[in-house]
Amino acid sequence: MAPKPKEFKGDFWKTKDFKISIGDIIPEEGTKGIDESSVPMGPTQKPNVTDLRSWDMKLLERYEPFYSPLCDMCCLCTYGKCDLLGKKGACGIDAQAQQARTVLLACCIGSAAHSGHARHLLEYLIEKRGEDFPIDMGMGIDIEAPIMRTLIGKTPKTLGDLKEALDYVEEQMIHLLSACHTGQEGSSIDFESKALHAGLMDNLGKEIGDLAQIVALDLPKGDAEAPLIELGLGTIDREKPVILCIGHNVAPGAGIMDYLEEQELEEDLEVCGICCAAIDITRYNKNAKIVGPISKQLKFIRSGVADVIIVDEQCIRTDVLEEAQKNNAVVIATTDKMCLGLPDKTDEDADKIVSELVNKQIEGALILDPDKVGEVATKVALKTSEGRSKVKVLPDLDEVVELAKECTECEWCDRVCPNSIPMMDAVMATSKGDLSQMQRLYDNDICYSCGRCEQECPREIPIISMMAKIGERNLQDQKYNIRAGRGPVQDVEVRRVGAPIVLGDIPGVIAFVGCTNYPDGGEEVAKMAEEFLERNYIVVTTGCGAMTLGEYRDEEGKTLYERYSGSFDAKGLVNMGSCVSNAHIPGVAIKIANIFAKKPLEGNFEEIADYILNRVGACGVAWGAYSQKAAAIATGVNRWGIPVVVGPQASKYRRLYLGRTDKEETWKINDLRKGKVINGEPAPEHLLYAAETIGEATVMTSKLCLRPNDTSKGRQLKLNHYIDLHKKYFGTIPDDIYKFVRVEKDIPITYKRDVMKMLKEKEWKPRELPQEPSLMDMEGD
Amino acid sequence: MNERVIPWQPTVIAGPKQALLVTPETAKMMLKKAKRPLLVLGPLAKEEPLISHSIEIAEKWDLPIVTTADTFKIYRDRVVETKAYGVVEILNLLKDPEWNGIKGEGPHDLVIFIGGIYYMASQGLSTLKHFAPHLKTLTLCKYFHSNADASFPNMKDDEWSIYLEKMKQD
Repeated sequence: MAPKPKEFKGDFWKTKDFKISIGDIIPEEGTKGIDESSVPMGPTQKPNVTDLRSWDMKLLERYEPFYSPLCDMCCLCTYGKCDLLGKKGACGIDAQAQQARTVLLACCIGSAAHSGHARHLLEYLIEKRGEDFPIDMGMGIDIEAPIMRTLIGKTPKTLGDLKEALDYVEEQMIHLLSACHTGQEGSSIDFESKALHAGLMDNLGKEIGDLAQIVALDLPKGDAEAPLIELGLGTIDREKPVILCIGHNVAPGAGIMDYLEEQELEEDLEVCGICCAAIDITRYNKNAKIVGPISKQLKFIRSGVADVIIVDEQCIRTDVLEEAQKNNAVVIATTDKMCLGLPDKTDEDADKIVSELVNKQIEGALILDPDKVGEVATKVALKTSEGRSKVKVLPDLDEVVELAKECTECEWCDRVCPNSIPMMDAVMATSKGDLSQMQRLYDNDICYSCGRCEQECPREIPIISMMAKIGERNLQDQKYNIRAGRGPVQDVEVRRVGAPIVLGDIPGVIAFVGCTNYPDGGEEVAKMAEEFLERNYIVVTTGCGAMTLGEYRDEEGKTLYERYSGSFDAKGLVNMGSCVSNAHIPGVAIKIANIFAKKPLEGNFEEIADYILNRVGACGVAWGAYSQKAAAIATGVNRWGIPVVVGPQASKYRRLYLGRTDKEETWKINDLRKGKVINGEPAPEHLLYAAETIGEATVMTSKLCLRPNDTSKGRQLKLNHYIDLHKKYFGTIPDDIYKFVRVEKDIPITYKRDVMKMLKEKEWKPRELPQEPSLMDMEGD
Repeated sequence: MNERVIPWQPTVIAGPKQALLVTPETAKMMLKKAKRPLLVLGPLAKEEPLISHSIEIAEKWDLPIVTTADTFKIYRDRVVETKAYGVVEILNLLKDPEWNGIKGEGPHDLVIFIGGIYYMASQGLSTLKHFAPHLKTLTLCKYFHSNADASFPNMKDDEWSIYLEKMKQD
């Protein structure tokens, strides 16, 4: 009888990349210099798409996918369009599976963006430094690559060693993307399992990318004292030639900084950036400046300050060339991800390219050599800056008022605004000379300047340009700072705080990440971070989120980065870096499992994720998530057991992971110490949760830091914050508090009387405290 | 096309099925027919005059109230009994045909929404449209919600106010 397909699932079928010659097994390439012999390997080295499925099923049984279709239909093949409302499509797919399929697709796109970025960086850095360039993260970091160690089972010693991990990511991504094809997967739950795998690959791709750039470009290596960097539109010296870098890849920006240094031109030009490229260039060279997060993009381009605009990859306006041409700025594309139809000048003489650009013989250039980009961008900026200063780019304030008078109050600007902001009222107020409403939308990026209002306006009113002009009135105030991205947390810091985090004495680690699709501007996010910092949480941050936190000043004019240290400790505000530095967030949770709890990492994903889910009180906040990368990031950390709270816009991702507190059977845990399955608690209650308001998000974030492993002292602290915050935003002690009080000692002293009263009403009884809570080895495993 | 029934944000159109445009009279008929209706108030119902309208409509039709986000506090200050849920939490419960409702008396058969953030409400209504065939949804906001079963049209404040006043009458 032929074996059933699942019977093939042995180690043989998982083995990759080995070659058999007569009697010999040749080791895999890329492993030279790695002594793996002494490392005990866990069960899932280089897990394939289905190898972690059983873990996913545990998560998905407790945190069921919650779907919100953005579209009733599927339009991916020529059987369609198929209307999936209450019906199956022509291929047999139903609405749930289609949502999950779309989520998988988004996670694949996001993961591919990060991993493609990592591939670009790695190839470039190997060419620059050589395959044998050592991965040395300094004295404070022994576990350089916690994700890689867990998934690949190896410690990379050189840049060349990173290739094996990236090859693995790329192989997995092909299988995952393939599953999105018509007539492949049909189960929503299995699509979810694959999305979780895509998220995990995203985590690994980012780790490879950041590790490569940290070691090869000598970026800060876990330095809590990384320098403060200038941030904000007001910090850019408009009298100098200005080069603006947009995107995520540090290489072209680094090429520019190197060229300026070689030519001793550092004082003569301004180099600034938007989005993560800005963060990474300032990690490389503190003389660069950060304009701000992605929401600044159109406003700043329209302002005409930049003479040369360098675009690399991800999150760049795809009409950047058209926008730049409006004010005679020169665009240089620098990666294969975004060529913009420009001629490839990579192999041409730099001076010839400069001449063609300056004389408008070409409308821009594609230059795939970062060093050449540095030379060309600098020379073009120097040559064109003076002439461009005479180009009038934004309307005068008088013209702004006149333009606003064109408004017919049709309301379509409001209706097409993805954020439903009252743009028409602001335009109408402007027409009467009152600029304050437009100013309010400009400040804190309440309007993140996507420009949809302009596209729709039947009078073709240049709303974003008008807002940019109005916002320029207080340019002098738009000067902030941010601590340069420090990279990962040092092992010594983990040793210091591992126990307080796991036992609950430090109430939680909150990660503010993601983009700037905020429902009401960035200030409320910064205030949320401030709230948790004041409460002794550890706050980590990356990317546009990190920039948003820097754009808020207290009454004394200080930014959060000036007020709080960069240490990974209670009350620490830790800017890890750019998007790819997000890898260090699950990374530090993994390190806690390894350093504090001595859990072996190699090939041991499930045990590590189980530890994090049950013991590490960490929670992500992506209040303005907009991209497919953000979907992949969140889904990846979810698989590690880290919950995430997202803003209302994230409901458009179509899927959340929500727990049901009324289904007690889903919260059972195995107390490994006692060897028995016991009733657990809804901690953490959700894995991916969308909130409508910042108040709701704040309370939920504090609740999602609860873990079954908390000691009573730790639980008291965490519940104290949960109750405090609930009282602040809801006015009461939360009525689900009884679910999180296991024994009387868990009750915060301040609220003891009130909580005891509530417990009595609920006929509460003490519960057994688990000593080693786990989802492993449960019945049915 | 009638501007009043193009979704307020036109791009939320999800497919061929569109909400039924209702007047207060039709909306009241839906309420009269419902056995176990529920009123869900979102964060835009934290300001007057919507607070008063919502309270009075709930009183008139004896509707239990769920508040989402941190809307709970305003109503508590007005001594109005509501139950707080995250909007995604209440939607998650509502789509379960076996969930016994906020009073434990049985599943709700009509859910009335006021004051949700438009784009998020649209997503939530889509959830119920697809995965909760056992209940109907009705929106009393001043914006047309195509993903609801029944919705008021796009309106200016004055007209909306008249609609809401009518909802307080038999």
